[in-house]
Amino acid sequence: MPLFLKEKKNLIILIALILVQFILISIQVPLGQKDNYFERALFSIFSPIQHGIISFFSSIGKIWKNYFYLREVQSQNQIMEKEIFMLRQENNLLTNALQKFRSEKEIQENLLKMHENILPAQVIGLDATNYHKSVIINKGTMDGLKKNMVVLDKNGNLVGRVIGPISLKEARVQLITDNESGIGVFSQQERAMGVLVGDGQGQCSLEYILATTKGISEGEEIITSGFDRMYPSGIKVGKIVSINKTKSLHWQIKVEPYFDFRYLDQVAVIMKDPKEFFEN
Amino acid sequence: MRNFVKVFLGIFIVFLLNTIFSKVSPSLILLFNLFSLVTIYFAIEKGEIYGSCLGAVCGLLQDHFSFGVYGVAGLAKTITGYLAGYISKKIDIHPFFRNFIFILILVSVEFILWALLYSFIFPDSVYTGRSLIFFQPFITALLGSVLFLLFRKFKRSEP
Repeated sequence: MPLFLKEKKNLIILIALILVQFILISIQVPLGQKDNYFERALFSIFSPIQHGIISFFSSIGKIWKNYFYLREVQSQNQIMEKEIFMLRQENNLLTNALQKFRSEKEIQENLLKMHENILPAQVIGLDATNYHKSVIINKGTMDGLKKNMVVLDKNGNLVGRVIGPISLKEARVQLITDNESGIGVFSQQERAMGVLVGDGQGQCSLEYILATTKGISEGEEIITSGFDRMYPSGIKVGKIVSINKTKSLHWQIKVEPYFDFRYLDQVAVIMKDPKEFFEN
Repeated sequence: MRNFVKVFLGIFIVFLLNTIFSKVSPSLILLFNLFSLVTIYFAIEKGEIYGSCLGAVCGLLQDHFSFGVYGVAGLAKTITGYLAGYISKKIDIHPFFRNFIFILILVSVEFILWALLYSFIFPDSVYTGRSLIFFQPFITALLGSVLFLLFRKFKRSEP
Protein backbone atom coordinates (compact mmCIF):
# COMPACT_ATOMS: atom_id res chain seq x y z
CA MET A 1 0.00 0.00 0.00
CA PRO A 2 1.39 3.47 -0.86
CA LEU A 3 2.67 5.49 2.10
CA PHE A 4 0.12 8.24 1.52
CA LEU A 5 -2.78 5.75 1.79
CA LYS A 6 -1.26 4.12 4.86
CA GLU A 7 -1.07 7.47 6.65
CA LYS A 8 -4.62 8.37 5.76
CA LYS A 9 -6.04 4.86 6.20
CA ASN A 10 -8.36 5.79 9.06
CA LEU A 11 -9.74 8.79 7.24
CA ILE A 12 -10.29 6.79 4.04
CA ILE A 13 -12.22 4.12 5.96
CA LEU A 14 -14.36 6.83 7.60
CA ILE A 15 -15.11 8.44 4.23
CA ALA A 16 -15.95 5.01 2.75
CA LEU A 17 -18.36 4.29 5.62
CA ILE A 18 -20.01 7.69 5.22
CA LEU A 19 -20.38 7.07 1.48
CA VAL A 20 -21.97 3.67 2.14
CA GLN A 21 -24.49 5.32 4.47
CA PHE A 22 -25.25 7.99 1.86
CA ILE A 23 -25.84 5.30 -0.76
CA LEU A 24 -28.13 3.47 1.69
CA ILE A 25 -30.13 6.62 2.26
CA SER A 26 -30.33 7.46 -1.43
CA ILE A 27 -31.77 4.05 -2.39
CA GLN A 28 -34.59 4.52 0.11
CA VAL A 29 -35.40 8.14 -0.67
CA PRO A 30 -37.77 9.53 -1.95
CA LEU A 31 -40.09 8.16 0.70
CA GLY A 32 -43.31 6.44 -0.20
CA GLN A 33 -41.79 4.41 -3.01
CA LYS A 34 -42.13 0.63 -3.11
CA ASP A 35 -40.14 -1.15 -0.39
CA ASN A 36 -36.74 -2.06 -1.71
CA TYR A 37 -35.08 -5.43 -1.12
CA PHE A 38 -32.54 -3.95 1.26
CA GLU A 39 -35.19 -2.45 3.54
CA ARG A 40 -37.20 -5.68 3.41
CA ALA A 41 -34.14 -7.79 4.18
CA LEU A 42 -33.17 -5.73 7.23
CA PHE A 43 -36.77 -5.74 8.45
CA SER A 44 -36.90 -9.53 8.05
CA ILE A 45 -33.66 -9.93 10.00
CA PHE A 46 -34.30 -7.62 12.95
CA SER A 47 -38.05 -8.02 13.46
CA PRO A 48 -38.00 -11.76 14.31
CA ILE A 49 -35.39 -11.03 17.02
CA GLN A 50 -37.65 -8.35 18.45
CA HIS A 51 -40.58 -10.73 18.12
CA GLY A 52 -38.63 -13.41 20.03
CA ILE A 53 -37.66 -11.03 22.84
CA ILE A 54 -41.22 -9.79 23.28
CA SER A 55 -42.61 -13.36 23.18
CA PHE A 56 -40.05 -14.46 25.77
CA PHE A 57 -40.87 -11.65 28.17
CA SER A 58 -44.61 -11.87 27.64
CA SER A 59 -44.54 -15.62 28.36
CA ILE A 60 -42.68 -14.92 31.61
CA GLY A 61 -45.28 -12.26 32.34
CA LYS A 62 -48.05 -14.76 31.65
CA ILE A 63 -46.58 -17.31 34.06
CA TRP A 64 -46.37 -14.59 36.69
CA LYS A 65 -49.94 -13.52 36.09
CA ASN A 66 -51.33 -17.07 35.95
CA TYR A 67 -49.66 -18.05 39.17
CA PHE A 68 -50.04 -15.01 41.36
CA TYR A 69 -53.23 -13.48 40.14
CA LEU A 70 -55.36 -16.59 40.01
CA ARG A 71 -57.28 -15.40 43.03
CA GLU A 72 -58.29 -12.24 41.25
CA VAL A 73 -59.84 -14.19 38.41
CA GLN A 74 -63.17 -14.68 40.12
CA SER A 75 -63.72 -11.02 40.87
CA GLN A 76 -62.49 -10.11 37.39
CA ASN A 77 -64.94 -12.61 35.97
CA GLN A 78 -67.82 -10.92 37.72
CA ILE A 79 -66.74 -7.52 36.45
CA MET A 80 -66.39 -8.89 32.93
CA GLU A 81 -69.82 -10.48 33.04
CA LYS A 82 -71.22 -7.07 33.84
CA GLU A 83 -69.19 -5.54 31.05
CA ILE A 84 -70.39 -8.18 28.57
CA PHE A 85 -73.94 -7.45 29.61
CA MET A 86 -73.41 -3.75 28.97
CA LEU A 87 -71.70 -4.42 25.66
CA ARG A 88 -74.55 -6.67 24.54
CA GLN A 89 -76.93 -3.88 25.35
CA GLU A 90 -74.82 -1.41 23.43
CA ASN A 91 -74.58 -3.86 20.55
CA ASN A 92 -78.35 -4.23 20.49
CA LEU A 93 -78.82 -0.49 20.48
CA LEU A 94 -76.35 -0.05 17.67
CA THR A 95 -77.86 -2.88 15.63
CA ASN A 96 -81.24 -1.25 16.08
CA ALA A 97 -79.84 2.07 15.00
CA LEU A 98 -78.29 0.45 11.94
CA GLN A 99 -81.59 -1.21 11.02
CA LYS A 100 -82.96 2.20 10.26
CA PHE A 101 -80.56 2.39 7.35
CA ARG A 102 -80.15 -1.19 6.18
CA SER A 103 -82.11 -4.41 6.00
CA GLU A 104 -81.67 -6.99 8.76
CA LYS A 105 -80.33 -9.60 6.39
CA GLU A 106 -77.66 -7.24 5.16
CA ILE A 107 -76.61 -6.39 8.73
CA GLN A 108 -76.41 -10.04 9.78
CA GLU A 109 -74.36 -10.90 6.71
CA ASN A 110 -71.99 -8.02 7.34
CA LEU A 111 -71.53 -8.90 11.02
CA LEU A 112 -70.86 -12.54 10.14
CA LYS A 113 -68.38 -11.57 7.46
CA MET A 114 -66.66 -9.18 9.85
CA HIS A 115 -66.34 -11.88 12.51
CA GLU A 116 -64.86 -14.41 10.09
CA ASN A 117 -62.36 -11.94 8.78
CA ILE A 118 -60.82 -10.73 12.03
CA LEU A 119 -57.29 -11.76 12.96
CA PRO A 120 -56.00 -10.84 16.45
CA ALA A 121 -52.41 -9.59 16.53
CA GLN A 122 -49.97 -8.43 19.17
CA VAL A 123 -48.02 -5.18 19.01
CA ILE A 124 -44.33 -6.05 19.30
CA GLY A 125 -42.61 -2.78 18.48
CA LEU A 126 -43.05 0.95 18.24
CA ASP A 127 -41.48 3.68 16.17
CA ALA A 128 -38.71 4.90 18.46
CA THR A 129 -38.42 8.38 16.97
CA ASN A 130 -42.14 9.03 17.10
CA TYR A 131 -44.39 6.44 18.61
CA HIS A 132 -47.49 8.08 17.20
CA LYS A 133 -46.48 7.11 13.66
CA SER A 134 -46.36 3.33 13.37
CA VAL A 135 -46.15 0.03 15.21
CA ILE A 136 -45.03 -3.50 14.34
CA ILE A 137 -47.44 -6.42 14.82
CA ASN A 138 -46.64 -10.11 15.07
CA LYS A 139 -48.54 -11.19 11.95
CA GLY A 140 -47.21 -11.23 8.43
CA THR A 141 -47.60 -12.73 4.99
CA MET A 142 -47.75 -16.23 6.49
CA ASP A 143 -50.98 -15.22 8.21
CA GLY A 144 -52.35 -13.76 5.00
CA LEU A 145 -51.63 -10.10 5.74
CA LYS A 146 -51.59 -7.71 2.81
CA LYS A 147 -50.92 -4.04 2.41
CA ASN A 148 -53.71 -1.60 3.35
CA MET A 149 -55.62 -4.07 5.52
CA VAL A 150 -57.50 -2.20 8.22
CA VAL A 151 -56.40 -2.50 11.86
CA LEU A 152 -58.73 -1.95 14.83
CA ASP A 153 -58.18 -1.90 18.58
CA LYS A 154 -59.80 -4.22 21.15
CA ASN A 155 -62.99 -2.17 21.11
CA GLY A 156 -63.31 -2.00 17.34
CA ASN A 157 -62.01 1.57 17.01
CA LEU A 158 -59.81 2.45 14.06
CA VAL A 159 -56.06 2.19 14.69
CA GLY A 160 -54.63 2.37 11.17
CA ARG A 161 -53.69 0.22 8.22
CA VAL A 162 -51.00 -2.27 7.29
CA ILE A 163 -48.15 -0.71 5.33
CA GLY A 164 -44.88 -2.15 4.13
CA PRO A 165 -42.57 -3.79 4.76
CA ILE A 166 -44.38 -7.03 5.60
CA SER A 167 -42.20 -9.99 6.51
CA LEU A 168 -43.29 -13.59 7.06
CA LYS A 169 -44.42 -13.05 10.65
CA GLU A 170 -44.27 -9.27 11.14
CA ALA A 171 -45.83 -6.23 9.57
CA ARG A 172 -45.82 -2.50 10.07
CA VAL A 173 -49.04 -0.63 10.81
CA GLN A 174 -49.40 3.06 10.07
CA LEU A 175 -51.35 4.73 12.88
CA ILE A 176 -54.07 7.27 12.16
CA THR A 177 -52.07 9.73 14.28
CA ASP A 178 -49.22 9.66 11.75
CA ASN A 179 -49.02 12.99 9.95
CA GLU A 180 -48.77 11.16 6.63
CA SER A 181 -52.09 9.41 7.22
CA GLY A 182 -55.32 10.67 5.66
CA ILE A 183 -58.79 9.16 6.12
CA GLY A 184 -62.15 10.06 4.65
CA VAL A 185 -64.51 10.68 7.58
CA PHE A 186 -67.72 12.39 8.60
CA SER A 187 -69.19 13.62 11.84
CA GLN A 188 -71.94 11.34 13.02
CA GLN A 189 -74.58 13.90 13.89
CA GLU A 190 -74.08 16.65 11.35
CA ARG A 191 -72.64 14.39 8.62
CA ALA A 192 -69.99 17.00 7.88
CA MET A 193 -67.45 15.35 5.57
CA GLY A 194 -63.75 15.91 5.80
CA VAL A 195 -60.32 14.34 5.81
CA LEU A 196 -58.79 13.21 9.07
CA VAL A 197 -55.05 13.84 9.20
CA GLY A 198 -52.75 12.81 12.04
CA ASP A 199 -50.66 15.48 13.75
CA GLY A 200 -47.83 13.16 14.76
CA GLN A 201 -48.40 14.12 18.39
CA GLY A 202 -51.14 11.66 19.32
CA GLN A 203 -54.09 13.59 17.95
CA CYS A 204 -55.68 14.23 14.58
CA SER A 205 -57.14 17.20 12.80
CA LEU A 206 -60.28 17.22 10.73
CA GLU A 207 -59.52 19.12 7.55
CA TYR A 208 -61.60 20.72 4.81
CA ILE A 209 -64.71 21.41 6.89
CA LEU A 210 -65.93 24.73 5.54
CA ALA A 211 -66.34 27.56 8.03
CA THR A 212 -69.90 27.91 6.76
CA THR A 213 -70.77 24.44 8.09
CA LYS A 214 -72.98 24.88 11.12
CA GLY A 215 -74.07 22.59 13.95
CA ILE A 216 -70.77 20.77 14.34
CA SER A 217 -69.84 20.64 18.02
CA GLU A 218 -67.26 19.39 20.49
CA GLY A 219 -67.76 15.80 21.62
CA GLU A 220 -69.27 14.78 18.30
CA GLU A 221 -68.20 11.36 17.10
CA ILE A 222 -66.14 10.92 13.93
CA ILE A 223 -66.57 7.80 11.80
CA THR A 224 -65.05 6.63 8.54
CA SER A 225 -66.96 7.55 5.39
CA GLY A 226 -65.42 5.05 2.99
CA PHE A 227 -64.94 7.72 0.36
CA ASP A 228 -61.17 7.29 0.45
CA ARG A 229 -61.75 3.74 -0.84
CA MET A 230 -59.28 2.56 1.74
CA TYR A 231 -61.17 2.31 5.02
CA PRO A 232 -64.69 0.83 5.00
CA SER A 233 -67.42 3.14 6.21
CA GLY A 234 -68.88 3.12 9.71
CA ILE A 235 -65.74 2.50 11.80
CA LYS A 236 -65.48 4.66 14.89
CA VAL A 237 -62.40 6.87 14.80
CA GLY A 238 -62.59 9.42 17.60
CA LYS A 239 -64.36 12.49 18.89
CA ILE A 240 -64.01 16.22 18.34
CA VAL A 241 -62.20 17.91 21.22
CA SER A 242 -61.86 21.47 19.94
CA ILE A 243 -63.17 23.67 17.16
CA ASN A 244 -61.51 26.96 16.33
CA LYS A 245 -62.18 29.60 13.75
CA THR A 246 -59.26 30.60 11.55
CA LYS A 247 -58.66 33.18 8.87
CA SER A 248 -58.92 30.48 6.22
CA LEU A 249 -62.09 29.04 4.68
CA HIS A 250 -62.09 26.04 6.98
CA TRP A 251 -62.61 25.26 10.63
CA GLN A 252 -59.62 24.13 12.64
CA ILE A 253 -60.93 20.97 14.28
CA LYS A 254 -58.96 18.72 16.63
CA VAL A 255 -60.00 15.09 16.98
CA GLU A 256 -58.91 12.76 19.73
CA PRO A 257 -58.67 9.16 18.49
CA TYR A 258 -60.60 6.54 20.44
CA PHE A 259 -57.77 4.04 20.45
CA ASP A 260 -55.59 4.46 23.50
CA PHE A 261 -51.95 4.33 22.57
CA ARG A 262 -50.92 3.16 26.08
CA TYR A 263 -53.10 0.05 25.88
CA LEU A 264 -52.35 -0.83 22.30
CA ASP A 265 -50.92 -4.25 23.09
CA GLN A 266 -53.45 -6.22 21.07
CA VAL A 267 -55.12 -5.24 17.82
CA ALA A 268 -57.48 -6.83 15.30
CA VAL A 269 -56.70 -6.93 11.59
CA ILE A 270 -59.63 -7.12 9.19
CA MET A 271 -58.44 -9.83 6.83
CA LYS A 272 -60.09 -8.43 3.80
CA ASP A 273 -58.49 -6.63 0.94
CA PRO A 274 -59.82 -3.06 1.21
CA LYS A 275 -60.68 -3.15 -2.50
CA GLU A 276 -63.26 -5.88 -1.75
CA PHE A 277 -65.18 -3.49 0.49
CA PHE A 278 -65.76 -1.20 -2.42
CA GLU A 279 -66.42 -3.72 -5.18
CA ASN A 280 -70.19 -3.77 -4.76
CA MET B 1 -12.60 -13.66 19.35
CA ARG B 2 -13.13 -12.51 22.94
CA ASN B 3 -13.43 -8.92 21.76
CA PHE B 4 -15.97 -9.88 19.15
CA VAL B 5 -18.07 -11.68 21.77
CA LYS B 6 -17.90 -8.61 24.02
CA VAL B 7 -19.09 -6.31 21.23
CA PHE B 8 -21.82 -8.73 20.18
CA LEU B 9 -22.98 -9.05 23.78
CA GLY B 10 -22.99 -5.27 24.20
CA ILE B 11 -25.08 -4.77 21.07
CA PHE B 12 -27.43 -7.59 22.00
CA ILE B 13 -28.06 -6.19 25.50
CA VAL B 14 -28.82 -2.76 24.06
CA PHE B 15 -31.11 -4.28 21.41
CA LEU B 16 -32.89 -6.21 24.17
CA LEU B 17 -33.23 -3.12 26.37
CA ASN B 18 -34.55 -1.03 23.49
CA THR B 19 -37.14 -3.69 22.65
CA ILE B 20 -38.25 -3.83 26.28
CA PHE B 21 -38.28 -0.02 26.58
CA SER B 22 -40.45 0.31 23.49
CA LYS B 23 -42.92 -2.10 25.04
CA VAL B 24 -42.86 -0.73 28.60
CA SER B 25 -42.68 3.01 27.93
CA PRO B 26 -41.56 4.38 24.55
CA SER B 27 -40.48 7.64 26.23
CA LEU B 28 -37.50 5.75 27.63
CA ILE B 29 -36.11 5.33 24.10
CA LEU B 30 -36.21 9.09 23.68
CA LEU B 31 -34.32 9.58 26.94
CA PHE B 32 -31.57 6.98 26.62
CA ASN B 33 -29.44 6.61 23.53
CA LEU B 34 -27.97 3.26 24.49
CA PHE B 35 -26.59 2.45 21.03
CA SER B 36 -24.42 5.57 21.29
CA LEU B 37 -23.01 4.39 24.59
CA VAL B 38 -21.95 1.05 23.06
CA THR B 39 -20.35 2.90 20.13
CA ILE B 40 -18.50 5.39 22.34
CA TYR B 41 -17.36 2.73 24.82
CA PHE B 42 -15.78 0.49 22.20
CA ALA B 43 -14.43 3.47 20.25
CA ILE B 44 -12.52 4.58 23.38
CA GLU B 45 -11.31 1.02 23.96
CA LYS B 46 -10.36 0.08 20.40
CA GLY B 47 -9.87 3.28 18.43
CA GLU B 48 -11.55 5.35 15.75
CA ILE B 49 -11.87 2.69 13.01
CA TYR B 50 -13.48 0.21 15.34
CA GLY B 51 -15.70 3.03 16.63
CA SER B 52 -16.85 4.16 13.21
CA CYS B 53 -17.59 0.59 12.01
CA LEU B 54 -19.48 -0.19 15.19
CA GLY B 55 -21.25 3.16 14.88
CA ALA B 56 -22.46 2.16 11.42
CA VAL B 57 -23.84 -1.17 12.74
CA CYS B 58 -25.46 0.39 15.82
CA GLY B 59 -26.90 3.13 13.63
CA LEU B 60 -28.60 0.58 11.40
CA LEU B 61 -30.11 -1.06 14.47
CA GLN B 62 -31.33 2.28 15.75
CA ASP B 63 -32.82 3.01 12.34
CA HIS B 64 -34.67 -0.29 12.59
CA PHE B 65 -36.27 0.87 15.83
CA SER B 66 -37.22 4.20 14.31
CA PHE B 67 -38.85 2.47 11.27
CA GLY B 68 -37.34 5.20 9.17
CA VAL B 69 -34.70 5.38 6.53
CA TYR B 70 -31.77 3.04 7.16
CA GLY B 71 -28.59 5.08 7.27
CA VAL B 72 -29.78 8.26 9.00
CA ALA B 73 -28.70 7.25 12.50
CA GLY B 74 -25.97 5.13 10.91
CA LEU B 75 -24.28 8.17 9.41
CA ALA B 76 -24.47 10.19 12.63
CA LYS B 77 -23.15 7.27 14.67
CA THR B 78 -20.31 6.51 12.25
CA ILE B 79 -19.01 10.06 12.72
CA THR B 80 -19.56 9.88 16.51
CA GLY B 81 -17.67 6.60 16.73
CA TYR B 82 -14.77 8.02 14.77
CA LEU B 83 -14.63 11.21 16.84
CA ALA B 84 -14.85 9.24 20.11
CA GLY B 85 -11.91 7.05 19.14
CA TYR B 86 -9.84 9.90 17.75
CA ILE B 87 -10.33 12.38 20.62
CA SER B 88 -9.91 9.79 23.37
CA LYS B 89 -6.42 9.11 21.98
CA LYS B 90 -5.47 12.78 22.26
CA ILE B 91 -6.85 13.61 25.70
CA ASP B 92 -7.37 11.69 28.91
CA ILE B 93 -11.10 11.24 29.31
CA HIS B 94 -11.00 8.80 32.21
CA PRO B 95 -11.78 11.15 35.15
CA PHE B 96 -15.51 11.01 35.86
CA PHE B 97 -16.43 14.63 35.16
CA ARG B 98 -14.28 14.83 32.02
CA ASN B 99 -15.81 11.58 30.83
CA PHE B 100 -19.28 13.00 31.40
CA ILE B 101 -18.52 16.16 29.39
CA PHE B 102 -16.88 14.07 26.64
CA ILE B 103 -19.96 11.83 26.22
CA LEU B 104 -22.30 14.83 26.53
CA ILE B 105 -20.54 16.64 23.67
CA LEU B 106 -20.42 13.52 21.48
CA VAL B 107 -24.07 12.58 22.02
CA SER B 108 -25.10 16.21 21.43
CA VAL B 109 -23.12 16.33 18.16
CA GLU B 110 -24.70 13.05 17.11
CA PHE B 111 -28.17 14.33 18.02
CA ILE B 112 -27.67 17.51 15.98
CA LEU B 113 -26.39 15.53 12.98
CA TRP B 114 -29.29 13.09 13.22
CA ALA B 115 -31.87 15.89 13.58
CA LEU B 116 -30.42 17.72 10.56
CA LEU B 117 -30.51 14.58 8.40
CA TYR B 118 -33.99 13.70 9.66
CA SER B 119 -35.43 17.11 8.82
CA PHE B 120 -33.71 16.99 5.42
CA ILE B 121 -35.26 13.61 4.53
CA PHE B 122 -38.61 13.58 6.30
CA PRO B 123 -41.32 16.17 5.67
CA ASP B 124 -42.34 16.32 9.35
CA SER B 125 -40.30 17.84 12.15
CA VAL B 126 -38.49 15.73 14.74
CA TYR B 127 -40.85 14.35 17.38
CA THR B 128 -39.69 15.72 20.72
CA GLY B 129 -42.00 13.73 23.02
CA ARG B 130 -42.94 16.83 25.02
CA SER B 131 -39.31 18.03 24.88
CA LEU B 132 -38.06 14.78 26.44
CA ILE B 133 -35.66 14.23 23.55
CA PHE B 134 -33.68 17.36 24.50
CA PHE B 135 -32.71 15.69 27.76
CA GLN B 136 -31.29 12.72 25.83
CA PRO B 137 -27.66 13.93 25.64
CA PHE B 138 -27.55 14.82 29.35
CA ILE B 139 -29.22 11.62 30.60
CA THR B 140 -27.20 9.43 28.23
CA ALA B 141 -23.95 11.14 29.26
CA LEU B 142 -24.76 10.72 32.95
CA LEU B 143 -25.62 7.06 32.54
CA GLY B 144 -22.61 6.51 30.30
CA SER B 145 -20.09 8.08 32.66
CA VAL B 146 -21.41 6.02 35.59
CA LEU B 147 -21.41 2.80 33.54
CA PHE B 148 -17.94 3.42 32.09
CA LEU B 149 -16.60 4.06 35.61
CA LEU B 150 -18.11 0.78 36.81
CA PHE B 151 -16.71 -1.11 33.80
CA ARG B 152 -13.24 0.29 34.45
CA LYS B 153 -13.41 -0.72 38.12
CA PHE B 154 -14.61 -4.17 37.14
CA LYS B 155 -11.79 -4.49 34.60
CA ARG B 156 -9.17 -3.50 37.18
CA SER B 157 -10.46 -6.10 39.61
CA GLU B 158 -10.17 -8.83 36.95
CA PRO B 159 -7.13 -11.09 37.51
